[in-house]
Amino acid sequence: MTGRRRLGMVAAGATLLAAAPISSIFESWSWLVRCIVAVGLIAGAALLARTVRFPVWAQALSMVVTLLLTLTWMFPSGHEILVPQPATFGHFADLVTQAGQDTRSYGVPVPDRDGLLFITVLGIGSVAIVVDLLTVVARRPALAGLPMLAIYSVPVAIYVDDVPILPFIIGSIGFLWLLVSDNIDRVRRFGRRFTGDGRDVDVWEPSPLAAAGRRLGVVGVATAVLLPLLMPSITGGLLSQITQSGSGIGDGTGIGGGGGKISLFAALNGNLTQGETVQVIKLTTNEQEPFYLRFGVADQLTNLGFGSRNPTGNSINRGLADPRNSTAGGEFQQYHAQIEISDSFRQTLLPIYANTIQTSDLGGGWSYDPNQQVIYSGRQTTKGKKYNFDYVRATYTESELRGAPALNRDDPLRTQYTNTPRDPYVDNLVAGLIKGKTNDYDKMRALYNYFAKTNGFTYSLSTQPAGSSSEIAAFLKNKVGYCQQYAAALAWMARVAGIPARVAFGFTKGAQQGNSWVITNRNAHAWTEIYLKGFGWIPFDATPASSVAGSTRTDWAPNVDQTFPTASSSAGTAAPGASSSAAAGNSNRLDRDPDAAGLGGNINGGATPISYTTLWTMAGVALLIALLLVPALRRLMVRRRRHAATVPKAPKVLAASGAGPPGEHDIVVTAEAAQAREDAHAAWDELLDTMIDYRIPVDPTETPRVTAHRLVGEAVLLEEPAAAATLLGTAEERARYARKPLQGAELTAALHLVRKGLARSANRRTRLTASLFPPSVLLRWRLGLAETSTRAAATASRWRESMSRFSPRRLLARSR
Amino acid sequence: MTTPTWDKPGGPMAGEEFRSATTAIMANIERVIEGKAATVRLALAVLLAEGHLLIEDVPGVGKTKLAKALARSIDCSVRRIQFTPDLLPSDVTGVSVYNQETRDFEFKPGAVFANLVVGDEINRASPKTQSALLECMEERQVTVDGTTYELQSPFMVIATQNPIEMEGTYPLPEAQRDRFTARIAMGYPDPRAELAMLDGHGAHDPLNDLRPVADAGLVRRLIATVRDVHAADAVQQYAIALVTATREAPEIRLGASPRSTLQLVRTAKAVAALEGRDYVLPDDLQTLAVPVLAHRLIPTADAQLNRRTTDAIVAEILHRLPLPHERNRSPYDTRPNTGGAQYEPRGR
Repeated sequence: MTGRRRLGMVAAGATLLAAAPISSIFESWSWLVRCIVAVGLIAGAALLARTVRFPVWAQALSMVVTLLLTLTWMFPSGHEILVPQPATFGHFADLVTQAGQDTRSYGVPVPDRDGLLFITVLGIGSVAIVVDLLTVVARRPALAGLPMLAIYSVPVAIYVDDVPILPFIIGSIGFLWLLVSDNIDRVRRFGRRFTGDGRDVDVWEPSPLAAAGRRLGVVGVATAVLLPLLMPSITGGLLSQITQSGSGIGDGTGIGGGGGKISLFAALNGNLTQGETVQVIKLTTNEQEPFYLRFGVADQLTNLGFGSRNPTGNSINRGLADPRNSTAGGEFQQYHAQIEISDSFRQTLLPIYANTIQTSDLGGGWSYDPNQQVIYSGRQTTKGKKYNFDYVRATYTESELRGAPALNRDDPLRTQYTNTPRDPYVDNLVAGLIKGKTNDYDKMRALYNYFAKTNGFTYSLSTQPAGSSSEIAAFLKNKVGYCQQYAAALAWMARVAGIPARVAFGFTKGAQQGNSWVITNRNAHAWTEIYLKGFGWIPFDATPASSVAGSTRTDWAPNVDQTFPTASSSAGTAAPGASSSAAAGNSNRLDRDPDAAGLGGNINGGATPISYTTLWTMAGVALLIALLLVPALRRLMVRRRRHAATVPKAPKVLAASGAGPPGEHDIVVTAEAAQAREDAHAAWDELLDTMIDYRIPVDPTETPRVTAHRLVGEAVLLEEPAAAATLLGTAEERARYARKPLQGAELTAALHLVRKGLARSANRRTRLTASLFPPSVLLRWRLGLAETSTRAAATASRWRESMSRFSPRRLLARSR
Repeated sequence: MTTPTWDKPGGPMAGEEFRSATTAIMANIERVIEGKAATVRLALAVLLAEGHLLIEDVPGVGKTKLAKALARSIDCSVRRIQFTPDLLPSDVTGVSVYNQETRDFEFKPGAVFANLVVGDEINRASPKTQSALLECMEERQVTVDGTTYELQSPFMVIATQNPIEMEGTYPLPEAQRDRFTARIAMGYPDPRAELAMLDGHGAHDPLNDLRPVADAGLVRRLIATVRDVHAADAVQQYAIALVTATREAPEIRLGASPRSTLQLVRTAKAVAALEGRDYVLPDDLQTLAVPVLAHRLIPTADAQLNRRTTDAIVAEILHRLPLPHERNRSPYDTRPNTGGAQYEPRGR
């Protein structure tokens, strides 16, 4: 098989491997069978076309026709005999339409629907054709990665949060296979490979020329991996900074999104996992132990999980509902609250308390949704708002709530708020839990109590966000999650039990500062609300109280983890003083557990993030400057060391020196002479480096005398520097070759003179480079690096050579 | 038969004395050969390095005049041999003739028995005659009829030859060439020197006015002084590296001999002493490499076809051979540092 045909086969194989991501979309594998058949037929057609030496356009045409025929056979309309008829294309159009509908009506994984299969086969087949043409005809296999990537973009578009990684790896392997095959084919067409020692080279054996590529690759991968690690702001800080300061908690656009993936969950998750603690709200109220601030609800439960509707209602100027007018029981206490929202918190839903009856200072543009009980705006945002409101706090006793009658089955409230996707595991669990309970409140308490720590539930931020049905079930099995999972799961289970339920979003009460409460992003929270006839929406917070900063419990839903039921009304939070001491003692742990971090109430206000950012920036700039200055500093150090060597020292004669009588031409070895030699060498090294710094080439074939002479000529040194350069040359010459070195010469001064002379004759740019980025230091480093890498490469190749002795191929060749 | 033997040339001189003596000799020669200070200095250096000089140039540039001026400046025995095709070896070395009176063979010394031997047009004699010089030039002795006669010291052969004329000439064999320490070319004088020559030589030959400024004893002491010049290890390594490079150069079929290494360093010492130094510099070797090494090398056929002269090849080697000193190592030099000089042949 020639290289070209082999490459066609590889292209087909690579296309199939690249189609692996599709597996996460379909329930079964029948799509793969069809794709293999289609791609195989296309590759066969291409092979045939190339065997009979069709021109390129004919090759492409044959592949397209093959794809068309294959589609016709796979998805027949019943009218055609092997060859597509006009009716076939109508059928195809129907299939495409059907696929469009299917994508809207089915969640992943989808069953084998004809329309979807048709789209898949058509897509993969087209990709196969493009890949084949790019690889075999255009010889540009790298470009073939683009259509392959297009396949991968399908699951990426569907799984917004969590894209399966394994199919991507498989696809990448396919692409790499294609690249390698093409490269091998190129090398083969170039000619026969052999080494200097006359032996044949294995196809997979890398050529020495590839060493540079390997080096580049290693450097590239290392940089790609290390750079994000070196910059913590990229992984943690920067991204969350964008979500936080850019759009606040739950940007308005996200909330307006309607029934799909709800961004309230994402915003909550983002707030809790954010690296920094930012003050969001300052709240002043005359209530002693306020319950949670509330700004939004997720009340639609679909296959994709809880989501929220767009709130609808009238302007707040028309007044808000007062729960005292239509209640079946309970005690009501009216309070007043004032809220200041920081600039970093911007959304279109207003944080208020439940049962707010009147607002003021809010300005226009805000509306009230009586169903969701939220205040929202189409135009305004909460950024920097300061407003007052009155609210009533309702307290109910258990017996009152027990008396709430069940809603009728056809009550619209019940039909709307108990609609759930069927999940057998949840259904069975709920059925078991509410067995024997007669009223809604008892059922709810049974469900609520289920989330106790004694049942194995623990709090952790490091889980997948709640959402689709399978995730709820997974949470109920794993029993590890945080507020949004707890709230969504309880709401879900309540709905299964036939109780209208929804998820409310807001903030816990935060940390007390005098009369005020400081609420940070760490206080973001979600909880469950159920509807009891005659009482309205009653909150239940299933999240373990000890893990939520500012958690508050009510009498009708006491803390299930509390051993003393009497303390339940003010659960969890304990005294601020005690908490803060605990916080101080466990600061490490608290850092890791952001929800708990606010327990102590150690909030520095908005200053912290700014100072962190500034600090990071300053540290980064300082580091950059330091890095840039390293060569200059290195040059300075070297120069100082050499100057220290050239400073004349007090003569020191060795005791055993001066053996010969004066006048004899014996070499007199004294410490002084040796020192003079060293000094001259140091001065000479310094001179050479200075020359390199000032861009005057250094020639290893030149003698010191010639070098000094050339320096004088090339750098146009005037009298004094010229004499100094000559002196340095003479000193070095005598240090190297004469019996007695030059002694007592002012080499340091000469060096200064030469450098000054060079600086005078050099242009500004050279001068600047010489002082800031001395070429001598950079050159030395570069050469050192090159030498090290060469040595490493040599070692590696020796090692590989010794290993290849055991290569099975070679052993086989030897035995033959 | 000679009183001061070769190995005892006399005591060395102080720097000042040496300088005045050598300056006097050079000034004396330059009264005849004008504007050729470097050539004169090199000729003197070869004398002080106990070597032999081959002067090769076109006719009429003063080859013979230089040889004669050098000979006249030194008050010692001078003989001149005019090499002709019919010259016999015995004319050079001497011959045993039968003495009727003593009824015995008596040795009649040839032309080589002198301190300075001027061999004019050496390539006109047959190789047979040329070979007569082999022993005396290297070993400074003559063996005739089994009897060895030692030559005087100093002993120097100054030969001239004409490279242009090919007919009727016999190129010197390699062995003979190798015995000459240096080959120098006179070159044409510059116009000013030529004008001065016209003025000076117009009336009479200044050679006739030349008076000796040194004698054999003085020359022996000069030689002793030159022998005492210091050649550092690095310099000797450089000399070896240079010679090795000629042996490894791809364009050269036959490289320089170990004898040439010796002569190179010896001549370098003489040059250093003439410049008033008591140590040799690599610069000296670089100056001498072409005159000392080039005439001994035999280029390959390719190099000859490419009209590459050995002078150019040696100059190129000089140009690319790094100095054998680790401190001279350029940062641009990426070759492994082995301490000594290395020559890496290119293109092989």
